[in-house]
Amino acid sequence: MQKTYFRYVLLVPALLILAATTIYPIAFAFVLSFREWKIAKSPTPGPFIGFENYQRAFSDANFWNALKVTSMYTVMGVGLAVGLGLAIALLLQKPTRASRIVKPLLIFPFAVSLALKGYSFRFMLVPEFGVLDRILDTLFPFVAELNWLAHPFWALFWMSVPEVWGWAPLIALMFLGALGSISPEIFEAAKVDGATNFELFWHITLPLLRPIIVIVTLLKSIFSLRMFDLVRTMTAGGPGRATETLNYYIYTVGFNFFDMGYASSLAVILAVLLSLFALLYSRVLLGGEK
Amino acid sequence: MSQAPIARTVSTENKAGNSENRFIKNFINQTGYYIALGLTVAFVLFPIFWIAITAFKQSIDVQSASLFFTPTLQNFRTIFSHPFNFAPLIYNSMVVGVLTVLIAIPLAVMCAYAISRYTFIGQDFLLIAILATQFLPPVVVILPYFIQFRNLGLLDSYTGLVIVNLSRVLPFTIWLLKGFIDTLPTEIEEAAYIDGCNELGVLRHVTFPLIMPGIATSTIFAFIMAWNEFLFALILSSTKTKTVIIGLVSVVGEQGVVWELMSAAGLIVMVPMIILAFSIRKYFVEGMTMGAVK
Repeated sequence: MQKTYFRYVLLVPALLILAATTIYPIAFAFVLSFREWKIAKSPTPGPFIGFENYQRAFSDANFWNALKVTSMYTVMGVGLAVGLGLAIALLLQKPTRASRIVKPLLIFPFAVSLALKGYSFRFMLVPEFGVLDRILDTLFPFVAELNWLAHPFWALFWMSVPEVWGWAPLIALMFLGALGSISPEIFEAAKVDGATNFELFWHITLPLLRPIIVIVTLLKSIFSLRMFDLVRTMTAGGPGRATETLNYYIYTVGFNFFDMGYASSLAVILAVLLSLFALLYSRVLLGGEK
Repeated sequence: MSQAPIARTVSTENKAGNSENRFIKNFINQTGYYIALGLTVAFVLFPIFWIAITAFKQSIDVQSASLFFTPTLQNFRTIFSHPFNFAPLIYNSMVVGVLTVLIAIPLAVMCAYAISRYTFIGQDFLLIAILATQFLPPVVVILPYFIQFRNLGLLDSYTGLVIVNLSRVLPFTIWLLKGFIDTLPTEIEEAAYIDGCNELGVLRHVTFPLIMPGIATSTIFAFIMAWNEFLFALILSSTKTKTVIIGLVSVVGEQGVVWELMSAAGLIVMVPMIILAFSIRKYFVEGMTMGAVK
């Protein structure tokens, strides 16, 4: 191909907008994280205070709590989504007519807005007439007295369920794509050699799915680590601070307490944390091409 | 099939017993399979189904969680009238979504084509940087946006919402379209160059028609992202540009939620997006992972 400047004409408009809409705000937040600024008290940023906001973060019990909640939430959500996705994929792997009908339905939950997912599950868990609460109370009478979203552990668990509802079917579709490429003869041959179903799964299916498990785990972690919508619509961080994710904590510091400087420093910490995951993901993406 | 050699070795008596056992075993397996399939369908569709029927319930039927009730359209009448006024909110969401798409898609096509077809210094770094901006938590950029938009008078404006949506949609669609362009063989483009077509001509007349499925997929993804976007709209829009999602928040209110109204609003929020997602089901997985899983 000729050496012309056409490539830059193509690149520059998108990159300019990206720089203006992402790089600039990050830089702005970064600078702000070294300043004091309570926006309710003064309309302009206060003086530079060095690393004080960061020092404050590391001695802030609420920050550590938010970090713990976020990690627990991420591990739980990723584990449930990948596990359930795998189960659905193994179930639908057999090419029957029924599985062909079910497959297209699997993308429905993902299209539902997270905010609506949050409200819907909160509704279904209402103690007196929530339909999930009723079903669970009938199946397990000993939980009848439990108000799911008022219990520290169960609130966090249920907050991960709407996300798992959206992701697990999608993950199943990803697995199904990979499983479709195994030729049935491999299974037949292994069965003749006397392999059990578990051995088939462990030695044939699982190694084949490993690259997708890596991709999905990273991608789902990135989405879980920045969870805000479900906290806002299901629990508002409660009971106490049991479901207050880092994202939600930053939101309250910035928009309930109007402490822009401190909120910015927390945001920078979160951004650094997430960019590590993004870096890993990009290595998987770029590595796959070569 | 594989049991044949084993079956041959057993005596005739056992054979009869075996086939009966096998029949029962098959029956149990079949039943188990369909039960599991039924549970999967229930898991996937039940929340949608429940919101859909609740939207047509009266308060008393919501309180009893009943499956059988006389449907009513009252909830929709309520959310389309004062104070909820859903019609302008749908319009706002459409305007923000369409404007975002109209700006993002052409720019993303150009950028993705340049990255896929040309080489330049720092290409890998650029790709990673674009990806990193896509994964940036919205809460990180919302503080600066809020502060700057307040200074610029862009709070509660379409311009403001389109700008913030671009920050999410643009990196995503660049990666997605790059994936589509990467899969096209370069021979067709090379032939066009030999026929005397210039670079712009190749992009317009050769590549562009071939990546139409990719463009359609990214357009729909971008629109769904903008429509479902929550945090930005929550903070940056109020009376004039409130989107449907924020309308949903107002319907729910802070206490004493009227669940049948929430469901009616929810149905309006989700049904168009489910239809759109369904229309690109072939490319959905590829899109979601930005081409990592095909």
